[in-house]
Amino acid sequence: MSMPPTDPSASSAAGTTQVAAAGAIDARKVYGEGDTEVRALDGVTVSFERSRFTAIMGPSGSGKSTLMHCLAGLDRLSAGRVFIGDTYLDDLSEGQLTELRRDKIGFVFQAFNLIPTLSAAENITLPMDLAGTKPDTEWMNQVISTVGLASRLSHRPSELSGGQQQRVAVARALASRPEIVFADEPTGNLDSRSGGEILQFMRHAVTDLHQTIVMVTHDANAAAHADRVVFLVDGKIVTEMAEPTAAGVLDLMKQLGD
Amino acid sequence: MLRVALKDLMARKRRLVTTSIAVVLGIAFLTGTQLLSATLSDSIKSLVGDVYEGVDAVVRSPRTTETPFGQPIRNPVPAATVEQTAAVDGVAVAQGVVESTGNQLIGPDGKVFGGGFGPPTITYNWTPDSIMGTGGLSAGRGPESATEIALDNTTAESLNAKVGSDVKVATLTGGVETFRLVGTVGLGKDGKGKTGAKPIFFTTEVAQRLTNQPDQFNYVVVKADPGLSQRQIADRLAAALPDTQVVTGAAFVEENQQSISQFVDILGTFVSVFGYVALFVAIFIIYNTFSIIVQQRTQETALLRAVGARRRQVLGAALLEALIVGLIASVLGLALGVVIATLLANAMKSLFTVSGGVALPGSGTFLFALVVGVGITVLSALAPSIRSSRVPPIAAMSAVSIDRSDLSRSRKVWGAVLLVLGGVLVGFGLTDMGPNPLFQVGAGAVLVLVSVAVVIGPTLAAPVARLLSIPFGWTGGISAHLAGENAARNPKRTASTAAALTIGVTLVTLIAIIASSIKSSSDSVFQTSIKSDYVVANASVTSLGAIPPTLNAQIDQLSSVDVSSPMRFGFMRLLDKKAVENADTTATTVPSGTFGSTNDAPPGEDTPVIGIDPATWFQVLGVGDLEGSPSDMVAGTLGVQKDYADKRGWKLGDTIPVYFGVTGRQDLKVALIYERNIGQGNIWLPMATFEPSQLPIFNSDFQIFVRGKDGVPKSEVRSQLDALVKDLPTVTVQDLQEYATAQTAPIDMFLAIVYGLLALAILIALIGITNTLSLSILERTRELGLLRAVGMSRKQLKRTVRYEAAIIAVFGALMGLVLGVAFSGALTVAISSNNPGIFTYHLPVVQLIVITVIAAFAGIVAAWLPARRAAKLDVLKAISST
Repeated sequence: MSMPPTDPSASSAAGTTQVAAAGAIDARKVYGEGDTEVRALDGVTVSFERSRFTAIMGPSGSGKSTLMHCLAGLDRLSAGRVFIGDTYLDDLSEGQLTELRRDKIGFVFQAFNLIPTLSAAENITLPMDLAGTKPDTEWMNQVISTVGLASRLSHRPSELSGGQQQRVAVARALASRPEIVFADEPTGNLDSRSGGEILQFMRHAVTDLHQTIVMVTHDANAAAHADRVVFLVDGKIVTEMAEPTAAGVLDLMKQLGD
Repeated sequence: MLRVALKDLMARKRRLVTTSIAVVLGIAFLTGTQLLSATLSDSIKSLVGDVYEGVDAVVRSPRTTETPFGQPIRNPVPAATVEQTAAVDGVAVAQGVVESTGNQLIGPDGKVFGGGFGPPTITYNWTPDSIMGTGGLSAGRGPESATEIALDNTTAESLNAKVGSDVKVATLTGGVETFRLVGTVGLGKDGKGKTGAKPIFFTTEVAQRLTNQPDQFNYVVVKADPGLSQRQIADRLAAALPDTQVVTGAAFVEENQQSISQFVDILGTFVSVFGYVALFVAIFIIYNTFSIIVQQRTQETALLRAVGARRRQVLGAALLEALIVGLIASVLGLALGVVIATLLANAMKSLFTVSGGVALPGSGTFLFALVVGVGITVLSALAPSIRSSRVPPIAAMSAVSIDRSDLSRSRKVWGAVLLVLGGVLVGFGLTDMGPNPLFQVGAGAVLVLVSVAVVIGPTLAAPVARLLSIPFGWTGGISAHLAGENAARNPKRTASTAAALTIGVTLVTLIAIIASSIKSSSDSVFQTSIKSDYVVANASVTSLGAIPPTLNAQIDQLSSVDVSSPMRFGFMRLLDKKAVENADTTATTVPSGTFGSTNDAPPGEDTPVIGIDPATWFQVLGVGDLEGSPSDMVAGTLGVQKDYADKRGWKLGDTIPVYFGVTGRQDLKVALIYERNIGQGNIWLPMATFEPSQLPIFNSDFQIFVRGKDGVPKSEVRSQLDALVKDLPTVTVQDLQEYATAQTAPIDMFLAIVYGLLALAILIALIGITNTLSLSILERTRELGLLRAVGMSRKQLKRTVRYEAAIIAVFGALMGLVLGVAFSGALTVAISSNNPGIFTYHLPVVQLIVITVIAAFAGIVAAWLPARRAAKLDVLKAISST
């Protein structure tokens, strides 16, 4: 596997580079006013390195999904800044954000990841079709063989199992070779075997294809596939862990939960 | 349960509005036309009553010529009748009235004023101290010399003429004469009423001359001595004047009111047909909306059932919703109908006296609106509601999936049955089998359309939608692809939405094809049969008598002209065996209040006849083989087209009993049978038969066919003819192309009106597309959120929705085209079997393509709001919604 990562500066030490693919600086997100005010993000500063697999963990309501939505340009901060590569999202218009999502970001959601009227192949190339660009055939083949879907490409989502659907979603997220892939509980709806497969594909995409993935999860086993885990509580980053293990993550979560 | 239904309704107000709009528009149109024609009828009746208020009896001829133009045209009576009437004991005043069409005003632009369709220009004689209210002076005085006229206020104003101005009149007897306007009048006692008709008042002598009836009046009006009732004076008149028909003033008023309101009623019925078409379209929309709602509410319904609601309660709640929608829509529709009628009545005020404002809806109209509005809403919601009540409680636990179910077997069977039944009905109707052909064709067409909506449409929807997305893909790429798949994902929904449009497009296509066929038929008939170079004709095909009697002779004298042959247009009543069998007995019913001789015409069949000059006619027209010779066509004979003669069983030399309004019963010998029907009537009378037997207004040349001499350039013929008619604004010279165009010009006008009325049905169908898309978008929130998240721009999303609408619309239009072609084909077969050889089928391809393209754009417009709403979707909310 000799695919260069998207940014040559990161190639020197694939997997361990410290160059940031995305990040947030003192990010704040406040919902409501006065008595009903909720601080979903309360001064989060974090960066996600290229060619790394980062997990964001935290109890429900900790702000992990909000952080991801703001990083991905789906939601806007109340204060602070977020960036993808060298672009600050806060400066972008609605249309520019859409283009950024299309060209620079890949998404994997927990469920309902695919357009039911499109075949698996069409779902995978959707972002490129929306941009009106031609997919890079060699890369596409690589991605498709990685997720092991070559024989299922002409099927509609309703003809695929849940695990297969998520694999198509991962392939779609990787297909346009984005700066960064955001995955929101990608294994939340799957049995453990299918979930494990998905996580392995994601691991593989980072290690061998030099992609950058940020995954929101509350599953310690899922987090264990990451290079690094960031813990959020009450809208703040409380700690993080490098080279996590499932047991280590569970321990830490217990401590945080107390 | 009642509360659940009501809450549900209130929670979805927007949907309530879009669902009811279809019903509101349909009801508004229907009640609006009803109210308008009631208003017009009332106004006309009061105006007519006003005009003839001073008339106690009318003395007139019992001889009539029936025409398709409504009231029969009556023979005039000699001037002496006035004196004889005046001499009857008890008569205070007897006045002769000239009342005839045929003379036309010339506008400031030098052309005929107010020709064509619409209210006629009527020639009257001016009678000082007239007992009729046809002309109450509002300025100046009545005409006293042969060069003076009076006009009504509105006409004078439109002509830009004031008392003292010169006004030109193109006369029935030929040429243009100039008169001095000496007074303006209005109808009724106050001189302010108007009916849209344009009266010209001449002195009696001039009026008689200009209407081709010297020393004759059309009828005599009588005022009785005080103390005599209308009945008494009528009895005395009838006894004294045995050869005349006497009617009381009241009966005369009633007769006039009837003939006018009959016309208004026919017009109202014609227009309301389109209202019913619109409501038929609305049925599809309501059915569709309720189907989608029921489907989307499956989980909610199942939950209700799970917590203990009975099936009957669920059904009741669904029907209650329909009932409320229907009620609100009917009341709104009725209110809108009143507004429409008021606006139209106001718009007519310049032409027409609208007395006492618009008739407010009576209890009848109100009930009608409610029954129709609520009825169709509840009926259309019935099937979806029953389906709703069948939702099992367990469905609450499972997710609602996209409806991909195949058509059920019973649906297919029913669809096939409907299609066959509809086809058979249309077939029988068109071949005149069965009791009511028109009803059969209509019912058959409805059945076919329903089967298209429930079976054929859903079967075709998916493949056609995908196919249609291809051309959109040339500019739209992925948007078009998604749009095609979206239209294909729920074939039943797409089909019933499209079918609403199909109805309108079917009718438009049918009418366009028939019109185009009529045009091309007359074109081909002209090309094969007319051997003249030019036709000298009336400027308007709908007006009679504009060509001066001397013109034909003048044309004949031209150095460039070889042959010139005039033709006239009139009517006669056939009395042969077949005609007596077919006789419409109602046409000869004696009006109540009639005394003396009743109408003279025996029962028979009325037919138009053409008056020709046998010596020249066959030189300018090629009609194929002749049995008999033109030279045999002398006085007392007729010529007839072969197929027509065969159908009636007429042979050469047979004697045919006929009746003419002017001369009465007569036997005509068949002297000539010609082969080819050339669209100039079936029965030709030589002028020697025609002239004495026809009313004065028919006895002027209608068209003159002119052939130039060999070797003389056509342009020479034309310039000589043009020079001859240059001072005759009512006469034009047409080459064959222009002639063909002029002959079919009324068709274009009719088409324009019909298209305008069909626009309502199409508008409602488009609202249906808007409705369906709005509901579909609601259903696809999650999916749209995903599309936006992975980078679909708002513009692309809007385009996707609009293309889906366009695909549905084009699908509907294409089904309409196919049906229109099929129906018109069937109609052509039927017409051809009755009139062999005259009708050629012609497809106006360009027009049909234009219809489809317009449908596509209309679909895009219909999707405007849903597309905007889809684009405004909050991505985050959409992807986190379940």
